[in-house]
Amino acid sequence: MSNGARALKIEGVIGALGAVVTLGAMGVVALQFHERPIEPILPIIPLVCVFFVVIAMGETFRVTLPGSRHTAPMATAAALGFAMTVESPHGTHAVYQGALVVAVATVAMAVGLIPNVIRGRPVHLPDLANRLICIAVAALLFREVPIWRGHTALDLHASWPAYILALFMVLVSAIALTVEVFLLASVRAARSHAPFGRTFEDEFRAASGLTAALSATSALIALAERPLGIAAIPLCLFPLVLTQFAVRRQSTIRRTYRQTIRTLSRLTEFGGYTEVGHASRVAALSMAMGHELGMSERDVLDLEYAALLHDIGQVSLIEPIPGGATVLAAPADQRRIAHDGAEIVRQTGVLDNVAVILEAQTTPFRQVREFDEVLPLASRIIKVCNAYDDLTGASPNAARRNAAIERIHLGLGYEYDPRVVDALIGALGRRG
Amino acid sequence: MGALSHAVPAYITAIVFGAVGLGVLGWRMHPLNGDDVVALLVLCVMGILSESVRGSDVGPRTALSFTSIVSLSSVALLGPFGAAVVGAVPHLLGVNKDRLQVRVFNSAMTSAHGAVAGFVYLLIGGTTKVGGVGGVWPLLLRVGVPLMVADVALCLSNAVILSGIVRLTQGIPIRRFVLGMLGTSGPTYIGYGVIGFLFVVLWIPAGVGPFTAVLILVPLFVARWAFAQYGDEQRAHERTLSALVAAVETKDVYTRGHSERVALLCDLMAGSLTLSHQDTEALRFAGMLHDIGKLAIPTRVLRGADGLSEADLASIATHSARGVEMVRDIDFLSDSFEAILHHHERMDGRGYPGGLGGEDIPLFARIIAVADAFDSLTTSRSHRDAQTVEDAVAELHRRAGAQLDPSVVAALERGLARQTWEPTRLEPGLMATAGRAFDHDDPAASELMAGLASPGLVGHPQRRAATVSARQKAPEEIAP
Repeated sequence: MSNGARALKIEGVIGALGAVVTLGAMGVVALQFHERPIEPILPIIPLVCVFFVVIAMGETFRVTLPGSRHTAPMATAAALGFAMTVESPHGTHAVYQGALVVAVATVAMAVGLIPNVIRGRPVHLPDLANRLICIAVAALLFREVPIWRGHTALDLHASWPAYILALFMVLVSAIALTVEVFLLASVRAARSHAPFGRTFEDEFRAASGLTAALSATSALIALAERPLGIAAIPLCLFPLVLTQFAVRRQSTIRRTYRQTIRTLSRLTEFGGYTEVGHASRVAALSMAMGHELGMSERDVLDLEYAALLHDIGQVSLIEPIPGGATVLAAPADQRRIAHDGAEIVRQTGVLDNVAVILEAQTTPFRQVREFDEVLPLASRIIKVCNAYDDLTGASPNAARRNAAIERIHLGLGYEYDPRVVDALIGALGRRG
Repeated sequence: MGALSHAVPAYITAIVFGAVGLGVLGWRMHPLNGDDVVALLVLCVMGILSESVRGSDVGPRTALSFTSIVSLSSVALLGPFGAAVVGAVPHLLGVNKDRLQVRVFNSAMTSAHGAVAGFVYLLIGGTTKVGGVGGVWPLLLRVGVPLMVADVALCLSNAVILSGIVRLTQGIPIRRFVLGMLGTSGPTYIGYGVIGFLFVVLWIPAGVGPFTAVLILVPLFVARWAFAQYGDEQRAHERTLSALVAAVETKDVYTRGHSERVALLCDLMAGSLTLSHQDTEALRFAGMLHDIGKLAIPTRVLRGADGLSEADLASIATHSARGVEMVRDIDFLSDSFEAILHHHERMDGRGYPGGLGGEDIPLFARIIAVADAFDSLTTSRSHRDAQTVEDAVAELHRRAGAQLDPSVVAALERGLARQTWEPTRLEPGLMATAGRAFDHDDPAASELMAGLASPGLVGHPQRRAATVSARQKAPEEIAP
């Protein structure tokens, strides 16, 4: 089974799970209404309404984390708080079932999506399913699963000191959010053909700040409801608004940085030094191979920048190399261009990792075997990708591609790292 | 300066005595008892913690003052004396690199803020016996509202005390500083009040106690962490952009370091013209990138070894439009596009690429034009030495009106009065390689190109320009 099919299958499973959770919750709620009169629900109607509005709004104002991860922190925090509410003001015990939480959250999220759909923003269904599953996990753990002699946390909370209850709430949220990260990582790993362990680590790291903030905030909401009632919900989300704002700024500057590097990588094309599109093709191919070879997100970012800027050293040449193809230039010239490029990038003072990669991008692989030289994996990847793209150009047909691979095969083990060349062939095979 | 050097320590001493006095008064009004010790310790630790992991400075709108939240929480939990103590401790015991004088001042200042806010809180009916207040409305009225008022007092006290020290050390008028500070960080103080209120409610009525500190601080620390990352990346981004642009420029000897200097000059003029922070950023980036389009011009033409034909000059004239074309994909630069495109326009309408005149030329483009000309004059060329700043400014004045905008030239002059500027003398070796390279930024070159202005010169870049500039004139209006 190919990896693409695997990614689709995992997304399908998560989608189906989300649908089952939602429909199951709705069914339970409907049954309850059918069997029992509505009176016991009445006192919690304001509570449900406020949660509904806040979740819907949170879904509308979602954020994108660095690395195009879509989250809706306010909606998630509110829904988790809803799942763990024990008592509304005036001592009314909140004895509703976990199913109600999931049902309300689902409808609220659907309503919150409407403005985004109208404005034509993309809707990420797997992300929504993940989020619902996360909420369901928290609701189950807190309201339905017996944790001590057949009693749930909801039954037991009155006998706990408040800080123990707070700790337990933080723990439940953290578990639920980690489940979400796990599901997200499986989709991502399948999609980018990367090892699961590495992807989970990346996702966990990327989400850790927000996970901590969300766990604390959801506990805050659930606890502050006792003294403050429904006013607690918007008030407690306030610190999270700041967090969300900060995260959004961070994600914007990251995107800007990428745009700038992409643009700067095309400067050599404008100057006629390199073929149009060469740098971005090498970058795309390199990243695909980096993921497959199990590089971390941070390393893939360095690899992307290095791949984009790998020909920047050519600007120091007075006259361009024909077609910009460094694979055809004399080895000494190649080394000088690589060295100049590394020097230029080092001038920034903030891209030292990229400079190291650029410096070694022309070093033949045999120096690793013969002299035990340390050659960054990223440099080996760029060397192979650059050679492939120089040999095939913008519109490779099958014959050109085979010729290029054959030529690269001639340098296997001497010029190129065999493991990286395998990854190239794998990546090209998937492109079809 | 003699009087000032005494004024600062005197001011600091006065604030210290004031803070101590307020603290004593606070103890008289509202002494602490044994039950308050835990809260006092936890709040002090929170203060020390947030002071010690202060994030990097990322501008007034994104800085989070945890101290204010801690102060407000102690106002409602402990009263004025407790707030004064909690304000004083972090700056004295926290781990930071500040000098002793700064530590003492900050410590006295936050202590005074806390005490002032504490008095205001008690005066308008706030209670420190939060446990005795039952129900949502009583909590809001006897804790929430007084805390918001105390918050305003805290904010004002902060602005006033700081304005004094800023007046003494930097000479900024008190009124202007106070208003500026209320405008930029005033709104965030509302947030501090809300968070302080939550803290108090969770601690006592919800019964969570010291663990409250964790629940409240975690989201805030994450926010601060994200802001710090943002600041780092922003700096990294700017450095990357300027360093790579500088590298790309190496092929043209005369532009080496030129863009960097133009960006600096733009910054200088932005100060004189009191542009907003955002406009200044856009202008600086435009200045940094204004000549990036020269990369698309053949090296042979730039080095001018064979003398330049009219066609060569026409090709040089395309650089502003090519520059916009290159950077068009960078979203945040969209405010800089017009400035890059029109930086060779002339006030008399004989510039390129659009042939715009007077006020039709975007302000940023007029600023870059002045910076460009000034830097060209104050940099040595193979046929002449670098001019002095005075001579260069005099030359710009002569060209103001026809070529340059007189008000912008005046802004440059004001800027240069604030900050000294050194003419750039290129090494003789470097100059030799430059040979007879054509300096398109020399004001004389502007005349030369204006004299050539033919449809052939302006027509080509014009078509590219049309997509970028909405304010562009129709070709018929271009001066012959």
